[in-house]
Amino acid sequence: MSFTSVKNNPVEKRVLEALDKAHLVQPILNAMVSFIDPLSQLEDLKSKDKNLPFYGIPVALKDLVNMKDTITTGSSKILDNYVSPYDATIVRKLKEAGAIIIGKASCDTFGMGGTNKTAATGPVHNPYDLSRMSGGSSGGSAVLVASGVVPMAIGTDTGDSIRKPAAFCGIVGVKPTYGRISRYGIIPYASSLDHVGFFTSNVSDAAVSLEVLAGRDDLDMTSSFKPVEKYSSLLKGDLKGKRFGIITNVTNAIQNKNTTTQFNNLCEKLKAQGAIVSEITLNEDLMKAMLPTYYVIANAEATANHSNLDSLRFGVQLEGKDNEEVMIASRTAGFGPLLRKRFVIGSYALFTENQDLIFRKAQKVRRLIVEDVKKALSEVDCLIAPASGNGAPLIEDTQIDQLSSEYLVAENFMALGNFSGYPSMTLPFGFDGVLPLGVNLTCKPFEERLMLDLAKGIEDLTQLNDLICEVKP
Amino acid sequence: MNYETVIGIEIHCELKTKSKMFSGAPVSYGAQPNTCVNEIDLGHPGTLPSLNKEAVRKALQACMALNLKIDPLIRFDRKNYYYADLPKGFQITQQFHPIGSSGYIDIDTAEGPLRVRINRLHMEEDTAKQYHVEEESWIDFNRAGTPLVEIVSEADMRSASQAMAYVDKLRNILMYLDVTDGKMEEGSLRCDINISLRPEGTEAFGTKTEIKNINSISNIEKAVSSEIIRQKALLEAGKEVQQATRRYDDVAKDTVMMRLKEGSVDYKYFPEPNIPPIQLSQVWIDEIRNSLPELPEARALRYKTLGLNEYDIKQLVQNKALSDFFDALIPSIKNVKLAANWCCGDILSALSQKQLEEKNYQLKLSELREMINALHDQAISSKQAKDIFPHLLKGENYASIVDELKIVMVSEHSSLLKLVEETLDENPQSILDYHGGKDRALGFLVGQLMKKSKGQANPAISNQLLKTELDKRKP
Amino acid sequence: MEKHSKAYFNNLAHQLRFDLTDKEAQDIVDEFSILIDQMNLLNTIDTTGVEPMVYPFEEATSFMREDIVDHVLSAQEALKNAPSSKNGFFITKKVVL
Ligand SMILES: [Mg+2]
Ligand SMILES: [Zn+2]
Repeated sequence: MSFTSVKNNPVEKRVLEALDKAHLVQPILNAMVSFIDPLSQLEDLKSKDKNLPFYGIPVALKDLVNMKDTITTGSSKILDNYVSPYDATIVRKLKEAGAIIIGKASCDTFGMGGTNKTAATGPVHNPYDLSRMSGGSSGGSAVLVASGVVPMAIGTDTGDSIRKPAAFCGIVGVKPTYGRISRYGIIPYASSLDHVGFFTSNVSDAAVSLEVLAGRDDLDMTSSFKPVEKYSSLLKGDLKGKRFGIITNVTNAIQNKNTTTQFNNLCEKLKAQGAIVSEITLNEDLMKAMLPTYYVIANAEATANHSNLDSLRFGVQLEGKDNEEVMIASRTAGFGPLLRKRFVIGSYALFTENQDLIFRKAQKVRRLIVEDVKKALSEVDCLIAPASGNGAPLIEDTQIDQLSSEYLVAENFMALGNFSGYPSMTLPFGFDGVLPLGVNLTCKPFEERLMLDLAKGIEDLTQLNDLICEVKP
Repeated sequence: MNYETVIGIEIHCELKTKSKMFSGAPVSYGAQPNTCVNEIDLGHPGTLPSLNKEAVRKALQACMALNLKIDPLIRFDRKNYYYADLPKGFQITQQFHPIGSSGYIDIDTAEGPLRVRINRLHMEEDTAKQYHVEEESWIDFNRAGTPLVEIVSEADMRSASQAMAYVDKLRNILMYLDVTDGKMEEGSLRCDINISLRPEGTEAFGTKTEIKNINSISNIEKAVSSEIIRQKALLEAGKEVQQATRRYDDVAKDTVMMRLKEGSVDYKYFPEPNIPPIQLSQVWIDEIRNSLPELPEARALRYKTLGLNEYDIKQLVQNKALSDFFDALIPSIKNVKLAANWCCGDILSALSQKQLEEKNYQLKLSELREMINALHDQAISSKQAKDIFPHLLKGENYASIVDELKIVMVSEHSSLLKLVEETLDENPQSILDYHGGKDRALGFLVGQLMKKSKGQANPAISNQLLKTELDKRKP
Repeated sequence: MEKHSKAYFNNLAHQLRFDLTDKEAQDIVDEFSILIDQMNLLNTIDTTGVEPMVYPFEEATSFMREDIVDHVLSAQEALKNAPSSKNGFFITKKVVL
């Protein structure tokens, strides 16, 4: 559902319709964690300029985004009763732009997962096939846009948590440059890899969204001072002379011939538009090392980031005879088994005796990976590859060989954008049966304008914009 | 066997800023609990740190005064541990790249001057305050996130008095910089003292204990002395010193065990990913260096050139508030020595330290100055000054006090001479006694003269005049 | 304590202020061998002379916040989420020193 089509309805109607629809599909998709009464926001809107970019547009937040006086659980048990005492910077920006926030969307607990199966409220279903997963961690947000509940939803992306679910759900998912959108007020996973981004149903809406969300925030010291460009008005979709580099490590690892064929077709079409498409091979050893590198850095940062969850100042507290017992009981019950495991491993990597061998080793490999990507991008405008070898997996699927190159490379390469902080996005480019397939673009730092322009060019070729998969009870 | 004491000291010093180290919440001592916090200080999910520039400026000033080498690339790390007073479950500190390293200060000790090397100075954030009430702990997060510098000395001190002199000097320097209020009793300056003993002449360090919670400078000497005695007794009895954290108990006048140190805790330090490295500009650093406030040593030198004696210099310099008072007083003072006497004497006993620090008194400097100058000019007597001073303290003006108390100083030569002659005329026997060698006679005559003048004759001049006239009347 | 045994990970979890079930501890022991394999992938990469990368972008900034009080919560807001509070304080079961 595009911004344009939403705007056909009067404000109040479109917001209430979005909420109704969210409620209606909830038993089927399980995408929402909490709903927000829009009344006071609608009231505030009355004094606002009708030309604001998000004027009266219903929006959903990933359940990691704090908004004053709303429940923010991080899709965890330990924050089940947490009421944010403050607004995330992006919430302030969205409100200023006229958006009406209707609720919080499900995610993997604290964004730590790629399936959305770890959410405290259970898995989110893919609207294209309810037995399949949404992808994660921003699964709820992706599904809300894909099923036409809202035209835009906020997500976060630490490994591929926006771009993977966007691919599985047939929509646009943007992870801009690290520092482009403030992280203030977003429950973290791993601070040096976390990015805030969003889902829309077309590239133009993505450009509008980025324009609203981007910009310097003094509350986030890692946020960039670079001026925000007029992404939406500069969107042309001109592919002529644009240089695409296919990541062959990814295409070679993909086993699904249907995906490969459609991707090759897309590349031919790009060439037909005057684009220069070449092949780029990244260092294969580094590509294979990406997953363990990611695992070490992300979990080490995560274990420290979530040490604040001790149930003393907020969160669900359990009984114990002294403070330490209370903390242990609450954290044991409040984190699922997966999180506890990851925290143990992350913490292990941080022990002084292990840091050189594990944590700093991973940080060094990260640098090598980033240098390799930087070198590749010095020759092209954009790296391109299918976002996944296949459509969304079955929710029940647990059979993934963790050391196969299809898994290590094809299913995890998008973390390149998190290691490097470079802007990266996916958009639909085809279908495998009923399941959407996404293509991923990665550009040089702060070249979002170019990235969106290339995406627009692709969208014009595929005509796969504004896909809505209606689900009926 | 003789033992040598080895002492190293870590000082945590709260910086005098308006807002927290990483948040825009106020820093305030003694406020209602949990009213000086925001979501950042409480470690709420999603919050991020934003560094306070003034805290960095004050840390730089401290580095400069302590002769530390400054690292202009500011970096922070996480120190991970779980405790009820630590909201994030980690403290943001500077483990790997302290802002200052390898400095020193020179202290005066009974054994002569001593240079104490300072290993490092780093910035970090304070924790919350806990009150343990029966089966509960009550927590106030107002202090959480207050900017701190931690100053770590080398183990260069060898006695309790050296330890005290070091902390005293360091505290004084920091107070001269105005980077801290230095109040040990309120915990804005806290020291952890590491003490070990070793057989004289040996190199290896003995097992050390750490003493915490010392709430005054004088307790440093007491705490260290009693700990030295305790450790020595253990060693002489062939027992081992246990590695432990102890605290000084003011009532028991001894150190008591807080907890044993079982191995070392692994704090899993790693660089803080939410704070990028911050490059300080050389221009800013130079600006701070060039406008550094006068430090105690420089002030002592300046007082020496004013002609003050060692005792007064020491009295003044060790009390910054008093010394500041003195400095404010001395412009157009005719006799700085006299001013120093008044400051170290009557002023110090009349005004509390708090009044001096907060400049919270009614006394007007201009009026005090006028009185001291009058005293110097012998326009009034010391006795008259003592009468005037309480009125000055109430904020009254010198002229009106003199008026009110009908203070007249007869020092004009002709009027005095007249009084002297009258006195002598009335007491012929005393003249004889005086010349007969009875010293008491002069005192008696001075008394008579004072009586006659109703206490307003200038005693010094009168005395001189009496002697001259007596000599003229030598029989 | 044998390295990478169940007891070892139980102890580690305890330091992180949570407990593992017996099964979880066993899972970690089992997965640790996979993890070690993956670590070995890292170790095949020569990182001699390479600095650890802590931030995506490493240019130093010069920004520091001015020392201004600009945001404070009321005690009521500060305590709103507290599981237990009294007289303006957060209350917890006794902290063992
Ligand atoms: Mg420290
Ligand atoms: Zn410290």
